Amino acid sequence: MNTTHSEAGTKADPMTPTPGGGTSTGGKKRKASAEPERFALIGVWAVLIVAFSLIVPQTFPTAANVSNMLSSQVVLLILAIGLLYPLRAGDYDLSVASTLNLSTVVVAILNVQHGWNIWLTVLVAIVASLLVGVVNGFVVTVFDINPFIVTLGMGTVVQGLVYLLSNTSTISGIDRALSSAVLTRPFLGIPVGFYYAIVLVAVAWYVFDKTAFGQRLLFIGQSHDVARLNGVNVPALRWRALIISAGFAGLAGVVYAGTTASADPVSGAAFLLPAFAACFLGSTVLRIGRFNPWGTLIAVYFLVTGITGLQLLGAEQYVQQLFYGGALVIAVILSKLVRNRGERKRRAEAADPA
Amino acid sequence: MTAPAPLLAVTGLAKAFNGVPALRGVDLDVLPGEVHGLLGANGSGKSTLIKILAGFHDADGGTVTVGGTTVAGPFGARGLRDHGLGFVHQDLGLAGTSTVLEHMALDSNGDAPGRRRIRWKAERARVTELLDRFEIDVDPDVTIDTLSPVQRAMVAVVRAVGSQELTSGSATGGQILILDEPTVFLPRHEVGLLFALLRRLRERGDAVLLVSHDLDEILEVTDRVTVFRNGRTAGTRATQGSTRDDLVQLILGAHDEHVAKGAATVRSDRPALLSARGLSGTRVRDLDLDLHAGEVVGVTGLAGSGFEELPDLLFGARHATAGRIEHGGTVVAKPTPARSMDAGVVLIPADRKGQGGALGLSVLENVSLPFLTERAGGLLVDWKSLDRRAQDTCERLNVIPANPHALFGHLSGGNQQKALLGKWMDTNPQVMLLAEPTQGVDIGARREIFTLIRSAVAHGMAVLCATSDYEQLVEMADRVVVLDGGRISAEVTGSDITKDVLASAVYAEEAS
Repeated sequence: MNTTHSEAGTKADPMTPTPGGGTSTGGKKRKASAEPERFALIGVWAVLIVAFSLIVPQTFPTAANVSNMLSSQVVLLILAIGLLYPLRAGDYDLSVASTLNLSTVVVAILNVQHGWNIWLTVLVAIVASLLVGVVNGFVVTVFDINPFIVTLGMGTVVQGLVYLLSNTSTISGIDRALSSAVLTRPFLGIPVGFYYAIVLVAVAWYVFDKTAFGQRLLFIGQSHDVARLNGVNVPALRWRALIISAGFAGLAGVVYAGTTASADPVSGAAFLLPAFAACFLGSTVLRIGRFNPWGTLIAVYFLVTGITGLQLLGAEQYVQQLFYGGALVIAVILSKLVRNRGERKRRAEAADPA
Repeated sequence: MTAPAPLLAVTGLAKAFNGVPALRGVDLDVLPGEVHGLLGANGSGKSTLIKILAGFHDADGGTVTVGGTTVAGPFGARGLRDHGLGFVHQDLGLAGTSTVLEHMALDSNGDAPGRRRIRWKAERARVTELLDRFEIDVDPDVTIDTLSPVQRAMVAVVRAVGSQELTSGSATGGQILILDEPTVFLPRHEVGLLFALLRRLRERGDAVLLVSHDLDEILEVTDRVTVFRNGRTAGTRATQGSTRDDLVQLILGAHDEHVAKGAATVRSDRPALLSARGLSGTRVRDLDLDLHAGEVVGVTGLAGSGFEELPDLLFGARHATAGRIEHGGTVVAKPTPARSMDAGVVLIPADRKGQGGALGLSVLENVSLPFLTERAGGLLVDWKSLDRRAQDTCERLNVIPANPHALFGHLSGGNQQKALLGKWMDTNPQVMLLAEPTQGVDIGARREIFTLIRSAVAHGMAVLCATSDYEQLVEMADRVVVLDGGRISAEVTGSDITKDVLASAVYAEEAS
């Protein structure tokens, strides 16, 4: 009954509440109605996996390919998870990709050109990234400016800084210790970086679902006024979220430096759109309409499955752009459709208060 | 007046929202060469009528005749604009950083294709001529935000007239202009300028429908006045010969409708839980007020008198420009919502959907917001006990559905309000500030809300209720403070609180 509630409700005449409807509210524990669309993306993902396994059985369903798919997305996943924090609070952070690049370049310069200890350079890179977040948050909250435009500008400033620092050249030869820290295969033949990312996803889930901080971010994202009138310190929390996303970008940059053992001043920018695509597509899974870490994880691997499969079928580089760009647009259309459906449901329930 | 054919005639117009009738068949006709007033209490259907004419809502029944031709609904997004109606809404619809000329040029290009070149010279000539014709001393090239409020209002009116002239292709009058409470945000001494403009429109044979709350304005400027009450036309009168009392009676209905007020107690002997001294805000001026334990203090006044702002100021949601706020005798240095909540002061804002609760989150999440850090020092939210509490609150306050996992936005207005009330009651507040607590709330829920508030007050809570709904104040307030121009103009206590007394206190500001 519950699953078909919305269907029945829309047909009800708003003038005459159905007499039978009013009685069921006495029932104690009404489970939230099962929403099959919560798992739609997982279903499509499964179909993709099966399809590619059947079409290219020699290359797609192999241990090497699976391991490669899982580990190649670690940088993107970490970046996207960090991006979730400001997105939860309703703010865009468009500077994450260049912050990632900054972090990579700082690691390379200090380690390769100045001979610093690799772990010290990692620390400095992450602190530098956090500073970007501090500045972002400062401008956004103190002057009350839309973060979209602030982080767009800051991102470009940081990108310029990256060119300046790196002299517009690729720096290779980063300490192998960093590479082995992210590429060692401790378990099931999957590089350790993947497990780091999973831990960060779990931490994000804990923060969002189990802490007051996460819950307050959610309210800020829904309405600044509601949050403020409930005693939430809106500017402080938005600032904090922007610092966190910058910190995650820095961490992603460090992992990126470890994966490639080199740093170039441009390749980080390519992560911006995929990160947003993953976050938005992730908000259509598990908790529809809500940016959520497990959904983002699924989205990241859904996207890479499609891209890898098509590339194994012989598709060129362009398939990546088609996939990520398409996913972003489809994701926002989907969330809009789901919202509209909720609106219809609300009207139906207003007419029939059961 | 030899009764010429009305320019605008509305007959039997009806509209219901979710089965709740807002208009039950209203009649209204506006003649050429008259300024016609439209009066009515809140919820009487004035704004619904305007919104139907402007195309925001579609009518359920009834006819609208413009200049002798009946227009079939639905009127579409542009409403009756294409049939010769011009609208000036309360917020005037002007963009601060654009110039007068730019606003007017927007109209003359209407729905022309975007490639159409704007002929600025002709445009400027038209605008200058229009401003001159109505004797408005405004430079077409200045931006809106450099104009005084009354200049803005006049620009908005002339803009609507100009736009009508463009549609009809003549400048000879016979336009219909609908002004929706244009004077609310105008300084009192400047209102006369706007009225002079309305008189000029009347002289050239236009029909003006003026919606207002202010009886004096209506008596001053209109020729006839129509009063709505509960979605029906209560009557139409010639202004000449009508008195303020006639109109008040028409607005409120028969005298015997008033409910006798039970014995209410004024608790000035008890200590003040929340006090304001010399408080000033955007509208409130130098206000002193004490809230004592165990009393419900009503605050009311005309729109723009400052009563709407008072709960926000007291809560610290809006910064006061002067004055201080005391919690139980100690001055609060810089009131913020968080500090007020710590002191046991809570606010239920009027804008339930925008400020009260997050529509996209569940009832559980909404009612749990103040309790998130209650356990485990904020490290871990104890959803299990919060869920129990929310379930309990929903059942105790009879929130339907009594399901904490329902989306807050899916609840009806009354149930949303009950959930919010329950949330704040659970924090055991000392002072509750309410702004229009029963706006958009059905009768049943309204009654439950009153009962809840009264019982909380009986346990020593102080309540401030800012509302323009007199009936509500009659039912629940121990004393009512009437604001005018930001200052307290009258105070009514106990059994003296009746709709009549409140209405005359609110409308009688000129006399005092």
